[in-house]
Amino acid sequence: MRRGRILFSLFLIAVAAYAVYSASAWSFKAALFPLSVSIPLIALTAAQLLLDLFGKAETANGPSVELEFGADVAPDVARRRVIDIFLWIIGFILLVFFLGFPIAVPLFILSYLRLQSRESWWRSVSLTAIAWGFFYGVFERLIHLRFEEGWIQAWLGM
Amino acid sequence: MFEALIDGLFLVLQWKAFTLMLVGMGLGFMVGLLPGIGGPATLALMLPFVFKMSPAEAFAFLLGMHAVAATTGDITSVLFGVPGEGLSAAVVVDGHPMAKRGEAGRALGAALMSSLLGALIGAVALALAIPIVRPLVLTFGSPELFMLSILGISCITSLSGLGARGQIRGFAMGLLGLLFSTIGQERQAGSLRFDMGLMYLWDGLDLVPVLVGIFAIPEIVDLAVRGTAIAGDRQPENLQAGVVEGVKDTFRHFWLVFRCSAVGVFVGIMPGAGGGVAQWMAYAHSVQSAKDARDRERFGKGDVRGVLGPGAANNSKEGGELIPTVAFGVPGSGAMAILLGAFMIMGLLPGPEMLTKHLAVTYSMVWTLVIANVIAVVLCLFILNQLAKVTYIKGGLIIPVVLLLVFVGSYTANGQIADLIVTFLFGLLGYFMVLLGWPRPPFVLGFVLGKLIETYLFISVSRYGFSWLTHPIVIILIMLTALVIAYPFIQEHRQRSGRPVHA
Repeated sequence: MRRGRILFSLFLIAVAAYAVYSASAWSFKAALFPLSVSIPLIALTAAQLLLDLFGKAETANGPSVELEFGADVAPDVARRRVIDIFLWIIGFILLVFFLGFPIAVPLFILSYLRLQSRESWWRSVSLTAIAWGFFYGVFERLIHLRFEEGWIQAWLGM
Repeated sequence: MFEALIDGLFLVLQWKAFTLMLVGMGLGFMVGLLPGIGGPATLALMLPFVFKMSPAEAFAFLLGMHAVAATTGDITSVLFGVPGEGLSAAVVVDGHPMAKRGEAGRALGAALMSSLLGALIGAVALALAIPIVRPLVLTFGSPELFMLSILGISCITSLSGLGARGQIRGFAMGLLGLLFSTIGQERQAGSLRFDMGLMYLWDGLDLVPVLVGIFAIPEIVDLAVRGTAIAGDRQPENLQAGVVEGVKDTFRHFWLVFRCSAVGVFVGIMPGAGGGVAQWMAYAHSVQSAKDARDRERFGKGDVRGVLGPGAANNSKEGGELIPTVAFGVPGSGAMAILLGAFMIMGLLPGPEMLTKHLAVTYSMVWTLVIANVIAVVLCLFILNQLAKVTYIKGGLIIPVVLLLVFVGSYTANGQIADLIVTFLFGLLGYFMVLLGWPRPPFVLGFVLGKLIETYLFISVSRYGFSWLTHPIVIILIMLTALVIAYPFIQEHRQRSGRPVHA
């Protein structure tokens, strides 16, 4: 966790430093606000970094208003599941990019239910049909959202 | 005036206006439930349909839709941790942990009842405030609005972390949110900032993909990691009892709900501040109303007060936003700017005429807010049993459906694949923020307010130099900001010295 915090602080410092570097080339009007935000951001994050590197270990005894992840799963299992779900999300985005929403939605839901959730074929297919019906009925027919065609359809000139 | 009040009621109760209000409510109900599809966007889509309506019918339709979207947005926030509306994000912070703990019914009961009370308080404020609000609105120029926004951010950052070190992280996240808000074309000089050569970034990052990504993706990851239903492996709660308990909670903390509603009305009145600020300020007020530091630790882990505050403010701000819109033609938010379009379509001129010649129409808006919210909440309370059962469905079945809603919702922002990538990247950022203890609420508030703050700062400096810092209201707001920042330290110090602290 400590190493993660240090890396995250370094990431924030890099983002803010990039902002300062970019803003230095802009006019005063354009640079004023980004500079007045990113310079204190560097200072605060550097302070946090120094505290993480050289300060005492933090004790969680103060007020917090953030969510906390469940801690009742073994760390290696949790790590694998985190990677899995992010890969599924990336897969969904790639499906949408290549095939467009109308095809990606049923394909993704069916694959997830069969391969990840290990549901029966019957349940997977019926849930996919319901979800697709909802998607089509609400987003396409009722709200008339326009979905971009996929890269493959565009490439094939469909 | 009393006669106009009654006339306004009858205008809404005419069968055509009433039916149109119900149709609007049906649309608003769905829009509120679907993540990302905002109330303002739907208002804009529905605007062309009001051409042939009378003013009372048009406002019953549009306001019925708008009022209900704010209420039902809380349902998705509580059940899935996905903000149904951009304005429901603060309800996620405590509402979803309650659902995870098996108290979805209670959280929903509290959210809905506080929304109803908030809406009623907002409507009463609208009815009473119109004649007296003019001086207040005119007193707030850019310097005051700038400081009000800073106060809003300070409220949430000052209570976002664990101890003093957490405060640093809270403020850093607020600044990061402000920094991300500067992406895109700068308003004063028109130059492009941080666009990385991508045309997608010229207009800046849209709120919906950022908000949905940063809040929803970490929840989905958590659900996938736990491998259980949203409510874990608990036995289903007695939902009806839970809902009744949530309703009772609203009255148990009535003064908190009342104060948060007042916060909502006040922020709503201030042009441009909008509901995104109101809910977080109300949330901050709820947390700061805790008896002591130990009591405050309950927030973020499923404290019903964290649901009541933003729930009430979300709806009371509707009445507040209507005040400057109706009285001066100065819209309090994006949604109100669209509603102003309806005024023009109807041939009505906001201003003195709305308070004299068309007073009955103005009061019909008040009644629409009241009636639409009462009907929506009563209906919701009847179907909550079914809705809350969703939290007991296996995570493996819920995840693909929630992902579908998240990404379709994000896609509505610009209709581009890039919206999905932004959602994913902010989801990743949100995941690491939660994992490493960097708070998300200050980031979101900074991001929401960034453009406004920059504009207010620019106008203040251009118009007054640095003398705006000596404006009396600015000084009061600076002192309030300092107090808000110092308050957790004072509270901690007093607790250590053994004295009880009450907000």
